Amino acid sequence: MSSGPVNITAASVAAILIATASLANPYEKYEGTTIVVSWPALSHFSAAETLVEEFTEETGIEVEIDALQYLKLRDRQILEMSKPEGEYDVVSWVVMWKGEYVSKGLLTPLSQFFTSGSLVDPHYDIDDIADAYLQNGGVVGGAKGYLPGVSGALYGIPFGAETSILAYRKDIFEEYGIEAPTTYDELTAAMTKLYDAGVPALTSRGKTGHQVTAGWLLHLAPMGGRIFDDEWNPVVNSPEAVKAAEFMRHVARTGPVGIETFGFGESAAAFLQGDAAMHLDTLKIAAMSRNPSLSKVDGNVGYALHPEGNRCGSETGGFAMGIPANAPNREAAFLFIQYMTNKAGDQRMVELGGDPIRISTLQNNTEGFDEYPVVAAQLPCADPDWRPLIPEWNEINIDVLGQALTQVITTDDPIQPIMDKANEQLREIMEREGYYTWASYRDAR
Amino acid sequence: MPDTTETIVPAAERPWDLSMVGPYLFILPAVTVMLAGLVYPVIQAFYLSLYDWKIGTDFGDAPYVGTRHFIRMLGDENVWESIWVTLRFGFWTISIEMFLGVSLALLLEKPIRGASVFRTIFILPLMVSPVVVGLIWRYLFDARIGWINYYLGQIGIEPRVWLGDASLAFFAIVFTDIWQWTPFIFIIVIAGLQALPSEVLEASKIDGANWWQHILFVKLPMIRSILLIALLMRLIDVFRALEVMYILTGGGPGRATELLSLHIYNRAFDTQQLGYASAISVLLIVIVFLLSFAILKMGNPMSEKADI
Repeated sequence: MSSGPVNITAASVAAILIATASLANPYEKYEGTTIVVSWPALSHFSAAETLVEEFTEETGIEVEIDALQYLKLRDRQILEMSKPEGEYDVVSWVVMWKGEYVSKGLLTPLSQFFTSGSLVDPHYDIDDIADAYLQNGGVVGGAKGYLPGVSGALYGIPFGAETSILAYRKDIFEEYGIEAPTTYDELTAAMTKLYDAGVPALTSRGKTGHQVTAGWLLHLAPMGGRIFDDEWNPVVNSPEAVKAAEFMRHVARTGPVGIETFGFGESAAAFLQGDAAMHLDTLKIAAMSRNPSLSKVDGNVGYALHPEGNRCGSETGGFAMGIPANAPNREAAFLFIQYMTNKAGDQRMVELGGDPIRISTLQNNTEGFDEYPVVAAQLPCADPDWRPLIPEWNEINIDVLGQALTQVITTDDPIQPIMDKANEQLREIMEREGYYTWASYRDAR
Repeated sequence: MPDTTETIVPAAERPWDLSMVGPYLFILPAVTVMLAGLVYPVIQAFYLSLYDWKIGTDFGDAPYVGTRHFIRMLGDENVWESIWVTLRFGFWTISIEMFLGVSLALLLEKPIRGASVFRTIFILPLMVSPVVVGLIWRYLFDARIGWINYYLGQIGIEPRVWLGDASLAFFAIVFTDIWQWTPFIFIIVIAGLQALPSEVLEASKIDGANWWQHILFVKLPMIRSILLIALLMRLIDVFRALEVMYILTGGGPGRATELLSLHIYNRAFDTQQLGYASAISVLLIVIVFLLSFAILKMGNPMSEKADI
């Protein structure tokens, strides 16, 4: 019998090949490592937990998830990241915190990993990630510090990123003969018509602080308004900003009862439970409306572009993932981020009920996802400057605008003086933080 | 008689006299705990208030600002507004809680049938964690799905935005506080009433006191010190109250329910002004100290024991 030695040789070759293949596994070095991920308790991220399990199965890298209510993440993350060695290997931030994190030196620039041939998958294709998402969530240091620009550096990859689209109840619109609005004038008219017919029109965030400001900002950019001009002078009392505030008051008057207390969850629930005819906020509402445990309106929801005022401008927000400067397992953390956001991971997120970040994923999944063509059409005019992501933004957002806009929607007080006062308060903050020192220096020369 | 005075050495000159050192040794643990647990954090708060420190940065890099935070605080209308909200909240909650707590205790002190069941039911709210209290009432008061609006709707009353209207939200936090803390007054007062000596009560009855006189001129004066302690504890609690309002309204709408402690929390963590928040904390300590001092001056329940 001559087959014996041949078999032995074949087995040896196979063993060598397997051994070589396992040596070539980019994850092997990190097998058994446990990374800790801090991210929000939101539907996209709960859906991602299955993908995290698949990551562990495939790579041998264990993942512990610390999920918190999204507005509570910042305190926890800053505390962890300011220790000499932190617990978190991956943090997921709301895009508005990126400036603060970077200014405090809390994040690792991702270029440290993207320059490593052993870590980066050549098929990763970062250019396929929607530019608006990547710039807004991950790039810090461009124009004004938070906008795209050649001086910017990459600190995070979007995951759970979003823009705004209009979701509306097709059945209600049909019943009252309303077309999906394309402009703010049409939207206002539709709201009035629905309200007069006894149907709560547009749901919105309206709780004092961050939430009411977020609700107003969604309308400010398309109406042509800004928070600051190019010299950091506040302009929240401009005619456009006042008009956006008037619109917010109209939303609160014609929308579901209780808008003054709504955060994002309550606002979305009002739409999903059938208590509002429209939802003009993040695209996340689409995945939520397909979830039977959240929604009573699946099958009746239509999508349209964010209506235009005097320009097209939807929000850019949501989350991005990055690596703290004091993370104990930075390379394994990078492999995790890469796995979750590569083409296969993005496609898997769609299957699991999450939201994609890649253009190719949006294009490949038009069937069964009515909102994807709308999102793909919306992204080119998603506005990265719809709110200024400067380190002082939290104080401005919560303490000044959050108070002024509550007064707008809960009282009948004239709006212009409210916004004039907010503008003055903004100027005081910017002055205190030294934003006008260059202007006064130039004037003095 | 032999003169013994010459042989007595003054206590101060005896180096290791335990009778002198002993008392100090005995109170040392308590003093240490108090210094570590109370005085040190207060000193730290004051120290922090002199700096402009942001979480996430090295404290060594924080600029020293001296009294700038205190000067800003004195002119900050938001701080004064939240003090005013706290005082109004304290006035309404404490006066109604005292009235209800004492009334319930007087009604249920007698061994009537079912009194123990009622007593147990009355103290249940006290056992619920403040966060849970906040959540329960937040959903009850919810404008869209809350039970309160639902039942009001059943009798034809339009839904109200309880937590989104300045005066209704203030009413909601007062109501919730009364619901939770009346049992506290009730327990303290009923314990005091049951410890009253029966001779005095009988004597007043023999002297012909009617029910009102019996309560107003005999029972209440006899539990005066207990009432003062209850009042003092509630007053301090009002200035510390945070969790329920944080969950229920977050201080809104506007600053309508932003009590001073919540105002400090929001400044410290929402807007990251830790130094400024510390300065307001120092003001809070001063206010609580002055109020406590004033109440103790009015009638110190410990004064009779001062000789111990």
